[in-house]
Amino acid sequence: MRNKRALAALASVALTGLLVSGCGNSDDSSGSGSGPVSLTVWTGFTGGDAPGYDQIVSDFNAAHPDIKVTMTKMSWDTIGQKLPSAWVTGQGPDIAAPSSDPNAIAQYVKTNSVLEITNTGTGDDKVNTDQLAPALVKEFTYNGKLYAVPANYATLSLYYNKKLVSTPPTTVAELQDQAAKLTTGGNYGLVLADNNTIQMWPILQWLSGGDIVDTSNCSVVGTPASIASLQPWVDLVKNKKISPVGLSGAEADSLFSAGKAAMEINGPWAAASYKTAGVDFGLAAVPTGADGKSVTLGSTAPLAISAKTKHPQQAQEFLAYWTSKTAQLKFSKSTGFPPLRTDLADDATLKADPTVSIFANQVPNAKLYLPQVPNATKVDTDAYVPLIQTATRNGDVAGAAATAAKKINELTGCTQ
Amino acid sequence: MTSLARKVPAALGGRGPAGWLFMAPSLLILGTFVLFPIGRSLWYSLHNWTVGAAEQPWAGLDNYTRLFGDAQFQRALANTLIITVASTAVLVVVGLGLALALQSENVVSRVVRSVFFFPTVISLTTVGMVWRFLLDPDIGLVGGVTRALGLDPVNWLQSTALALPTVIFVNVWKNAGFVMIVLVAGLKAIPGEHYEAASLDGAGRLQTLRSITLPALRPTMLFVTFMVTVQSLQLFDLVYVMTSGGPLDHTETLVTKLYRDGFVNYETGYAAATSWVLFIVVVLVSALQLRIFRYNDAD
Repeated sequence: MRNKRALAALASVALTGLLVSGCGNSDDSSGSGSGPVSLTVWTGFTGGDAPGYDQIVSDFNAAHPDIKVTMTKMSWDTIGQKLPSAWVTGQGPDIAAPSSDPNAIAQYVKTNSVLEITNTGTGDDKVNTDQLAPALVKEFTYNGKLYAVPANYATLSLYYNKKLVSTPPTTVAELQDQAAKLTTGGNYGLVLADNNTIQMWPILQWLSGGDIVDTSNCSVVGTPASIASLQPWVDLVKNKKISPVGLSGAEADSLFSAGKAAMEINGPWAAASYKTAGVDFGLAAVPTGADGKSVTLGSTAPLAISAKTKHPQQAQEFLAYWTSKTAQLKFSKSTGFPPLRTDLADDATLKADPTVSIFANQVPNAKLYLPQVPNATKVDTDAYVPLIQTATRNGDVAGAAATAAKKINELTGCTQ
Repeated sequence: MTSLARKVPAALGGRGPAGWLFMAPSLLILGTFVLFPIGRSLWYSLHNWTVGAAEQPWAGLDNYTRLFGDAQFQRALANTLIITVASTAVLVVVGLGLALALQSENVVSRVVRSVFFFPTVISLTTVGMVWRFLLDPDIGLVGGVTRALGLDPVNWLQSTALALPTVIFVNVWKNAGFVMIVLVAGLKAIPGEHYEAASLDGAGRLQTLRSITLPALRPTMLFVTFMVTVQSLQLFDLVYVMTSGGPLDHTETLVTKLYRDGFVNYETGYAAATSWVLFIVVVLVSALQLRIFRYNDAD
């Protein structure tokens, strides 16, 4: 009896040992053998533009038999949850697009999770920083060091449903007028998302002289100019019901896809899904503002390398290819994204492409959202989104702006 | 509890090293995956902990004092308590009503019970997505029916007045079947002689319910309210999918706030402090329930 008990106890200990050993990480898929070097990439490019990114990876693999890149796509939320701890512990991918928000890279720089990109210069095997849009390089440069490259560069344009809109508006006044008139029969004139979305409301403010922060990162949402820029749009949403309140980006897209929205301001990634949905849509530049100038949002997703990658040279080589002229020309043609390189701005084939040209022509008028503003993500979620959501419900722009201004200054550290 | 504290060491003392060896796998798993993370989260909550930061400065109780000055936290705490109290109260009443109505063993009762139980087996995420779609004022079924009746569709999830009641309604819809099934099992465990005796004594239906059924159901009711309460206090998936805490934090719960602080803003220390407040709330509410159901008497 005693022997049986001892045997069982021994088996129990052995099982414990097995469990413990199971917790260890013996997987080394980084290609330390004689085969090609394996690089893993995580991105959130799951939309209609996904095939364009897949093409970059497959072209790179074909041209570099000594490197094998595998890209895994997941939702941006999932990357946001997994990547910080994965990179800190050295378990994550070699390369990742941490977020669709360019400001997200600041957090990874702060925690020393990303590698400084040093393989810059001229030639296809280097990141040609001098040929990338300067605003994008500046966005990913901290303390004089480059920590990411732009995975893409999008501007926002005006999508309109041709069945509902005969001539797209060219001025803000026309946009407001059409948005109100087209709100009829269960349709919305202009759907405006305010959360979990590419930013639409800042464009409306910029067009009429408003803004969110100044160059000292202090809030300007409460200034008379900013309040005046927001009030007409808030009135249109609240009183004329040109858009439902509290829309997320996906919900706004669904309304346009369902033919229930006459217009929407969106990026090039949306075109593929609208085509799939069977919407007969047209594209136009964002209308000109009160001063006769147009302005739109420029958006980019960062592509960065883990500070703990075992293959920093090959990873930088991949980034160089991703941003190369060859890859970007092909990418723009297939997705409609404007080129992120300045040396492709005058490319005849891109200019001839009706979709690319609409987005590309707005690059000179594009502004990034809260570029390098401290706690930019929280400024958006904790101050700007509540500002829009409050104002569109109660109509009190000045009151909502005062609350938002206080919060923004707390977050940015503005002391003025 | 006191007797348990005496029984465990006594039981182990009589087994010697072999007893500990038998328990080793469980203790190891429990220690690694439950006790260590709990202790670690307390440690995080006492620091300004950020994932991956080179320094994790000591904060003492700063995260806790900051929490109670945080308007979003106050709203999340209030919403969590409202969801819990409202969901539990409605679920017990509805679940008991359904259980009493459907306890008989015939085909109709079985089919109807299955229908009510069906939402229980679906994940909360799926339930949230389906209801979000159904309630959409523009493309959802509810909006369509409202329009067909000549009324303006209601934006259930974007109204600051209606979003929280709507979430509570869906939480009740999802869990009513579970409460019903457990209470049906409890009802079937009550000896038929009790009802016979009550009938012979001339008790009416209401008196039988009050004097026989409810007292006999007390342990089952304790179990079911405990389960529903803890589930409601930890509500995350449903809220995240349906409203993401909006509009304007009107459906934000402690767990959605915890998620946002910890996994969106990467303020691990602050999120850990929220988790400890939630832990204390769970303990207090559970103790209150035990008191209400006079657990020691029932035991």
